[in-house]
Amino acid sequence: MACRVLVADDARFMRQLIRDIIEPEGFEVVGEAGDGREAVEEFQRLQPDLVTMDVVMPKRSGIEAVRDIMALDPTARVAMVSALGQEALVMEALEAGAQDYVVKPFKPEVVLETLRKISEKEE
Amino acid sequence: MDPVKYRHLFLEEATEHLAEIGRALIVLEKDPRDAEALEQVFRMTHSLKGMGASLGYEAVSGLSHLLEDRLGTYRERGGIDDPEGLPLLFRGLESLERMVEAVRAGEAVPVEDPELIADLEACRGAPPPKKAGGRADRRR
Repeated sequence: MACRVLVADDARFMRQLIRDIIEPEGFEVVGEAGDGREAVEEFQRLQPDLVTMDVVMPKRSGIEAVRDIMALDPTARVAMVSALGQEALVMEALEAGAQDYVVKPFKPEVVLETLRKISEKEE
Repeated sequence: MDPVKYRHLFLEEATEHLAEIGRALIVLEKDPRDAEALEQVFRMTHSLKGMGASLGYEAVSGLSHLLEDRLGTYRERGGIDDPEGLPLLFRGLESLERMVEAVRAGEAVPVEDPELIADLEACRGAPPPKKAGGRADRRR
């Protein structure tokens, strides 16, 4: 069964890019969110297997959204999407419960490898 | 990546972002400590940086990165607290608008304004100014 993914990013461009990278490789994008608050709401509604979470988003940041999601489901699997120079924020997100991260601009093979690694991880 | 599809997505979203930056800068012109407007400009430049880098528009990502760094400093300080801040941000916006228009026109993305880049680079790591305030010299 395909891994069901929620893509959270405030940029439509980035959401589409992630979708185009992962869908042909067997992942199913079941939902998208344009801000941190929506990411948490959609996580609750869709119960995805995995979330890609942008760090910088309106309403609630990606880090705050990770904290909320981990409080709802400590077994949730989240990959942060960051930009160069956001190492401190990524560390904060990993401490909050995210499993791994990818850096923009994306290398498709790195995105796929990271998501596969997280989705195949034993609980 | 389908370059035509993503160029179209970039133009659509970058145009919206630039309009939002313009509106937020006008708010900051009235109140340089408006946290919401500052956050808005920060996020929009961050987003432009990511899109520009994804498409290889180095001038867009480079300038956006410098602006984002400067905006990050202002966020930490609780507002735009130097007289050259807003004029620089408006110059940054104009330069980004020219770049996006060049992409729309099918031209090569113009190289950044070297003077603007130098001014933004010069402020990296600069200590906080002693006096707060300052107004933009350009109204939109």
